[in-house]
Amino acid sequence: MWETLAQAVINGLLIGGIYALVSIGVTLIFGVVKIVNFAQGEFVMIGMYISFFLATQFGIDPLVSLVVSMPVLFVAGVLIQHFLIRRVLGPNDMPQIFLTFALSLLLLNLSLMLFSANYRTVHTSYSDEAWHIGGLYIPVAKLIAFAVAMALSGLLWVFLHTTDLGRAMRAASQNRDVAMLMGINPNRVFAVAFGTALALAGAAGSLLMPFYSAYPFVGQVFVLMAFVAVVMGTLGNVMGALIASLMMGIAESLGIQFVGADSGLIVVFALLLLTLAFRPSGLGARRGR
Amino acid sequence: MQTSGNMKWLWLVIGAAVMLALPQFVTSSFAIDIFIRILLFSFIGVAWNLMGGYAKQLSLGHAAYFGLGAYTSTIMQVNYGISPWIGMVAGGVVAMLASLPIGWLCFRLRGPYFTIATIATAQVLMLIFLKFRDFAWGAEGTTIPNLGSAPLMMQFEEKSSYYYVVLGLLVVGLWITHLIEKSWIGYYLVAIGEDEDAAEAIGVNAPKVKRDIYMISAFLTALAGTFYTQYIYFIDPATAFSFNVSIEAALVSIVGGIGTLWGPVIGTVLLETTSALLQSWLGSSVGGIQLTVYSLILMAVILWRPTGLIGFATDVYHRYARRKPARA
Repeated sequence: MWETLAQAVINGLLIGGIYALVSIGVTLIFGVVKIVNFAQGEFVMIGMYISFFLATQFGIDPLVSLVVSMPVLFVAGVLIQHFLIRRVLGPNDMPQIFLTFALSLLLLNLSLMLFSANYRTVHTSYSDEAWHIGGLYIPVAKLIAFAVAMALSGLLWVFLHTTDLGRAMRAASQNRDVAMLMGINPNRVFAVAFGTALALAGAAGSLLMPFYSAYPFVGQVFVLMAFVAVVMGTLGNVMGALIASLMMGIAESLGIQFVGADSGLIVVFALLLLTLAFRPSGLGARRGR
Repeated sequence: MQTSGNMKWLWLVIGAAVMLALPQFVTSSFAIDIFIRILLFSFIGVAWNLMGGYAKQLSLGHAAYFGLGAYTSTIMQVNYGISPWIGMVAGGVVAMLASLPIGWLCFRLRGPYFTIATIATAQVLMLIFLKFRDFAWGAEGTTIPNLGSAPLMMQFEEKSSYYYVVLGLLVVGLWITHLIEKSWIGYYLVAIGEDEDAAEAIGVNAPKVKRDIYMISAFLTALAGTFYTQYIYFIDPATAFSFNVSIEAALVSIVGGIGTLWGPVIGTVLLETTSALLQSWLGSSVGGIQLTVYSLILMAVILWRPTGLIGFATDVYHRYARRKPARA
């Protein structure tokens, strides 16, 4: 009993690291640019396809292709912010919601046309390897993904707290008007925030590739998880999103273990609805930022 | 506007005559099928627009009510032999009641997070109908027993009869929208849509107004669910709670003109016609093409004409047709 429980917690924690990369991106964009990026999951999908094609065409390990997927998606993010998002920033919700939503629909259906709905996998030397520690089973690929995800989150934290640009981004997310008065260039800050968020989504895609299939709808699983984690972790709060994502991973895994396979999503949605009912401004709201 | 009341009535009568006569001239079942889809999605868009358009509560979860309507009438018909005409109204009432707790949860959030919460509620309902197998046929769904010509059971031999049913629904939806638009509720809704805090400050009971309009919107959407199930003789959770229904309900309104009486209709005519043309041109072999085109149209509208096709037409009208009297 305890072993099953511990195993479920470990499985959840490991996949929770990937959820964290996606949620941190969503919450970063929400905090700085003040929009919700409905297309975040599709950038995870693009990251996966980049790693898939680099692996099958050039034999590059998905973990190595991280150095391709992250910069490519960073640039994509800067361009999207500059040419699309910038045009709809303002007090009106409708264009913001439906622009990123249209982007999500577009990317998803384009990839459906280009790559078909088939599942694509990459088999690496460590895909099937696992460590056995005290009766627990720890898959190496997931452990690496988790470790890299945590390292990237840590790097982002250091970036946000020690560099000028990072501090400017945090200032813009706390009070945009005052930050502008202090001479922070909003377009630059927004572009970097959007690019960083997409780079994190791309990293999530590459890290997933050794143990997860790529298909056009794959992003939707991750984006739903991220939205729930971002609401639970208090909108715009990076640390809150990280912790909530790990919790979501564990909750989902416990749901699969004890309620039944495929019921992971029900547990996640139930958590979302419970959060909305009892703590609509997020679990960490009282402690502030 | 210069258009006098009489002119408006003339246009309405001509429009009604054309719509009523259409199935008598168009006999191709492919074309009738497209007309039915246009009328159905116009109706769903009209229902969505009441809440999403006037009050700017941008739901992407209207499939919840479409599905509840479809399942209520189908369960009543298949298990108890009750006519879908009664089931349709019952489904509307079920959807209305369901909108109360769903609204209570979702209205705690504003803007994009309201949208996400509505997506989640529709997904939860789909998962419930999928997972609990002894409950309403599970994932396999069921076919509606075909009784041949049975108008009392909402089953017809002629496709044109379905056309008239859904035309009737659309007329009801437009009439309700017209009444709301002209009443104080309409002004309250627009005020909430413009700025909810300001509306509350001047005494609009925003939670109550939003709850009431959500109930009406849910009721109408459920009627569409019943009709659709009767029309395709089949129900399963994936079609009844399809995310595509939620998407199209919002898309047709935004493309046509959000928060306007005729916007959803005009948006549906454009989107469904494009979709039908693509299908006859490319065949249905290329998956994803329909939504690719829809998303491009949506992006174009948002970036260049956020007021939709109606806004575009009004601008053009003001620029050209109205210029002459201004000069005179």
